Amino acid sequence: MSGAPGQELVRFDRVTLTFPGVNGRPAIEVIRQLDFRIETGEFVAIIGPSGCGKSTLLSLLAGYLPPSSGRVLFRGKPIAGPARERMMVFQQPALFPWLTTAGNVAYGLKLKANRGNGRNVQSTVDALLHLVQLDGFAHHYPSDLSGGMRQRLEIARALAVDPQVLLMDEPLAALDALTRRRMQGEVLHIWEKTRKTILFVTHDIDEAVIMADRVIVMAQRPTSILEIEEVRLPRPRRREDPELAGIVRRLSALLE
Amino acid sequence: MRPLVLRWPSFRLIERAALPRWALRLVGPLTVLLGWELGARFGLINTLLLPPPSAAFGDLGVLISGGYLGKALYASLFRVVCGFALAVVVGALLGLAMARIRLVDDFFDPIVELLRPISPLALFPLAILWFGIGDGSKIFVIALAACFPVILNTFAGARSIDANLIRAARSLGASEFEIFKGIVLPASLPHIFTGIRLAWGISLIVIIAAEMVGATVGMGYMVLEAQQTFRTERVFAGIFVIGAIGFVTDLGFRRLRRWLLPWYRETQD
Repeated sequence: MSGAPGQELVRFDRVTLTFPGVNGRPAIEVIRQLDFRIETGEFVAIIGPSGCGKSTLLSLLAGYLPPSSGRVLFRGKPIAGPARERMMVFQQPALFPWLTTAGNVAYGLKLKANRGNGRNVQSTVDALLHLVQLDGFAHHYPSDLSGGMRQRLEIARALAVDPQVLLMDEPLAALDALTRRRMQGEVLHIWEKTRKTILFVTHDIDEAVIMADRVIVMAQRPTSILEIEEVRLPRPRRREDPELAGIVRRLSALLE
Repeated sequence: MRPLVLRWPSFRLIERAALPRWALRLVGPLTVLLGWELGARFGLINTLLLPPPSAAFGDLGVLISGGYLGKALYASLFRVVCGFALAVVVGALLGLAMARIRLVDDFFDPIVELLRPISPLALFPLAILWFGIGDGSKIFVIALAACFPVILNTFAGARSIDANLIRAARSLGASEFEIFKGIVLPASLPHIFTGIRLAWGISLIVIIAAEMVGATVGMGYMVLEAQQTFRTERVFAGIFVIGAIGFVTDLGFRRLRRWLLPWYRETQD
């Protein structure tokens, strides 16, 4: 059901998004004539200056916003609204504070729409908490967890409903430098284990090049694509690798 | 986490006196009572107007053993509980509906804002005409006065929910009803609870005032009657009981919140 690797999963077809001007202010064109595609199983990073509409792009894909013109296609069909096949992982984790760690992961599984899919709630929760290395924290509340743990919990909650793509909106931006590096490894580990397609927005060029198969470089608003860089380096990648450093340097120059 | 409290160095001695915190918190009220008692004994204050606390506590014993306090307390608390319960149910439902449904907000918000500044006691004479001198009129004014903090706090709570929580639930596949039940309601509970605590405080204030204006039994009536017969020690006995009820019930509300909302941290506000 998740499609063969290499198949087209997402396509932006001349997508434009304009926020109408309110109270006489001029309309803001956030995204202009955007065209790109993402294949099943890919890890794609999107980088660009802050305020360039990267998050808006994810909102379009999540179905929280419709495009002003053009089409956003998911498996060949236009996106009509939020659905569990496209799960968002927010920058500031949007965990349910009144539910425990296990309760947050189980939330999606217990919804009417997802019941009766043959997955046992308890064993799925256990497996996911193990995947994100939160076993032992099942009965803690989100407020008891550290920033990195909350981010991992949010990923586990998203994975619970077996999405086809994870939309990650600067998921590591709020973490300190050390936690951030460790989490980059964790996200890659989760990606390799689950083989989900990941669309990863970041403003950190290093992070993008270390993690992704492809890096899409966006220009300042209105967002359009400056360049798409295929990163063909084998994993695990090392920051000190001169080839990697070369790519980072070139992309940095592009953004300046 | 330890709250930030400025310490004067010499106070450390008292803190080191190995008294538990609750005992330390009794020191203030007991000092006031002791000063008052001594002032009365040594003729520094007019005991006709300000009888010593010992006289008030003595009369409290008489009231209890005579069964008079029990009767008054039962009458008052019955009215308070009924009015308060009405206020909580109506207030929470209306607050939630106003926060999530635009049409309901447009209909009720002007009504709420028009009624809110009116002193509930201004409506009490009318309430007596409508519901009689008994329980009905008191329950009505308590419910009316106490529902506003519940409405306003519930509304604020349901409106201040992080939009991403609702988006996350929607992506996970939640229906509109599941979002209301599973996200909007629990996310609003801390605010609703604050409204409930305020409503209880208001209920206690309103009942005494209402019973002083028109009643034949109750704590407010008891205090007023004592004043009219110049038994000031009985006035104070009644005041002590009213204060104690407010103090103990608020403690109970805090316990209840810790038990019902274990995930909620007051410092998150």
